[in-house]
Amino acid sequence: MCSCILPEERYGTRGGEYFMIWQIVKKIGLTLFRNPQQLLLLLGLPIILIAILGAALGNVMNGEEVTIDAKVAIIEHGDETEQVNRFINDIENSGVPPERVEAIQAATGELAPIKLLKESVFGSEGLKELVQLESAKPTERDKILNDDSYTAVIEVPENFTYHTLQNFFGMENAETSLNVSRNEGKQLGSTIILEVLQQFQEQLTLTSFVGEKGISVDAIQVDSEAISGEITTIDQTQPVTAKNYYAIGMAVMNVLFLASTIGSYAFLEKRLHVFNRIILANVSRWIYFSGVLIAGTVFGFLHLLIVFGVSWILFGVAWPNILAFLIVTFGLAIAVGGLSVLLTAISYRINSELVTNFFQSIVITIIAFLGGSFFPIGDSFKTIQFIGNLTPNGAGMTAYLSVLRGEPISSIWEHVIFLCLFSVTIVVIAALSFPKRGQTA
Amino acid sequence: MLELVDLSKKFKQFYAVKNLNMFIEKGEIVGLLGPNGAGKSTAISILSSLVEPTTGDVRFKNSSIIKSPGPIRNVIGMVPQEIALYDDLTAEENLQFFGRIYRLSGVELKQKIGEVLELIGLTDRRKDVVKKFSGGMKRRLNIGVALLHNPQLIIMDEPTVGIDPQSRNYILETVKRLNREKEMTVLYTSHYMEEVEFLCDRIYIMDQGNLIASGTNEEIKRILSAEKTIEIKSDRINEVFVQLLRNDATINSVTEGEKVVTIIVPKGTKAFGTLLKYAEEAEIELNSVDVQEATLEDVFLHLTGRALRD
Repeated sequence: MCSCILPEERYGTRGGEYFMIWQIVKKIGLTLFRNPQQLLLLLGLPIILIAILGAALGNVMNGEEVTIDAKVAIIEHGDETEQVNRFINDIENSGVPPERVEAIQAATGELAPIKLLKESVFGSEGLKELVQLESAKPTERDKILNDDSYTAVIEVPENFTYHTLQNFFGMENAETSLNVSRNEGKQLGSTIILEVLQQFQEQLTLTSFVGEKGISVDAIQVDSEAISGEITTIDQTQPVTAKNYYAIGMAVMNVLFLASTIGSYAFLEKRLHVFNRIILANVSRWIYFSGVLIAGTVFGFLHLLIVFGVSWILFGVAWPNILAFLIVTFGLAIAVGGLSVLLTAISYRINSELVTNFFQSIVITIIAFLGGSFFPIGDSFKTIQFIGNLTPNGAGMTAYLSVLRGEPISSIWEHVIFLCLFSVTIVVIAALSFPKRGQTA
Repeated sequence: MLELVDLSKKFKQFYAVKNLNMFIEKGEIVGLLGPNGAGKSTAISILSSLVEPTTGDVRFKNSSIIKSPGPIRNVIGMVPQEIALYDDLTAEENLQFFGRIYRLSGVELKQKIGEVLELIGLTDRRKDVVKKFSGGMKRRLNIGVALLHNPQLIIMDEPTVGIDPQSRNYILETVKRLNREKEMTVLYTSHYMEEVEFLCDRIYIMDQGNLIASGTNEEIKRILSAEKTIEIKSDRINEVFVQLLRNDATINSVTEGEKVVTIIVPKGTKAFGTLLKYAEEAEIELNSVDVQEATLEDVFLHLTGRALRD
């Protein structure tokens, strides 16, 4: 009788375990590499989607050049020139010293608010290209309000200019306001108009304040620059373009398919009894378990590097902080590893690929939606943003966006720690679910 | 070497294996014969330590493998009924992976892969991916993987299912060679009685989870020593003829095939005249009447009333 060539003392050594794990990782890698269709789905699809979504939805994303053609009507219910003259007349008869009256007369020409709004604000270089301003008579009001081509209609109440000038020079504290009707169907344009008017209102308030305090009105300028030009985020961080956004959205979504692919391969090993062969070679099932976990993590990491690498080359998606990018990538990769081993464990437990298929066809779509892979849903619904950040892709996406905006590295820790905790939790669940010896049929 | 003691495995209310007792000695080729669903695969899953029995024990070199499966796993090579290979890897890559899983490396692994490829006749196809292989080639590689670590005991679960006769003969000859030249002990399960008859020193026959017969080929056939098998051939066998045979109290068993009826009668029965009489009554012409040696198939038929491949 010949003896078995396996030296028994080699079993169970730490080096041997690492060697076994490496063999399992290498074999999964080879299997992935030998499946061009699978590779195309995992790596080609996100690139194609980034290109399509980035191009198609670029115009509605922050940071992208926005083409707005807003038509705005301004309806004056009073004559501004008449109100300015009336104000000057009142000043002259109010016992104000003649030299002050002269200064006020000189300034009123420049401070007529509606003239200012028309010429300095809507007539500025920045806004002129975006907003088409039309003056209309009060008799045309109803017709204009029913005309859907207008983005917004500004109504100037009857004594608006007169009262505003009185406020400017501290003669009376009458309340003045413009009435704005927004076209809800043109949300982006009407929001911009409202922003412009709010800025204008703030300028008027400031002018009124300095007038009260006797500061020279020459020092006051309406800052039309502030309401035109590029849109910047509130905290002065880098804008995120649509291609940037969808590079992240598609990468974090697509890397989840890697988990289901590895889960499917693993279940195939059970179905074909390859897993039994591995077990009969006296390899602990925990070594196999670790192999799947590490394979998910390593190939998840490589998948993200490849997708973002190609995005950098093709779409110019560049990372201001490489270290932060790598930390987030690693955090997301271990979550993918955890998901791979969880899907494997549950499939082995129930002896069916049902869970993996369900994850692949339903769960990924839902969590991709919640995580904001398709559009920034969290910006509109804070609850969804919160829930989205509880998904691995959502947390990864938020962290990646922070890195891309150039936010400090401290802003990603919350999400990276969440990803690590998420991974630990699902690995524990997977370990508890993974059938022990004697539980496999 | 290996002993199964009162082994049972119950899945819910169904016994896949019931009170199975068997042993395997060093250097033997032992056959486990039975139709599909007889419990053969469950039995070998238990004795290879993959599945724990509901009751009973499996003893390897006088130690139970139920609590401590390590020792038996070190010495067995398992050939599952399924093609347990990676379709997307080449033959060589499959052997490399499983070889490394068996802790082989370097020159030792390379040498072993070469030997195995030679043995299974796939040296020329070593660089081809398995999915391009024919069914027979896959089966051969499936066996090759189990031989990488020179196992003392090789367990083969229906290794010739679904392959062409040429590949089947190759596999059977390979098993013989492994036993003869490398003194490997073989447990061979099949529902092809001719394979088991050709290969095995001793045979266990299972049906519906129970062991129904065991012994050497001759010992089992001796179960039918009091009977003889007669094969009747005719181009026009009809229901009247078969019914006449069934109604005859001296005939123990009647099995109807295409243009052939097989009957088992007690030895000493003078059946020839009776058969001619029945043929005349049924208005058929007999082509031939052969008295045959008992086969394992006949034994199974005798014991269960069913054919092995039913």
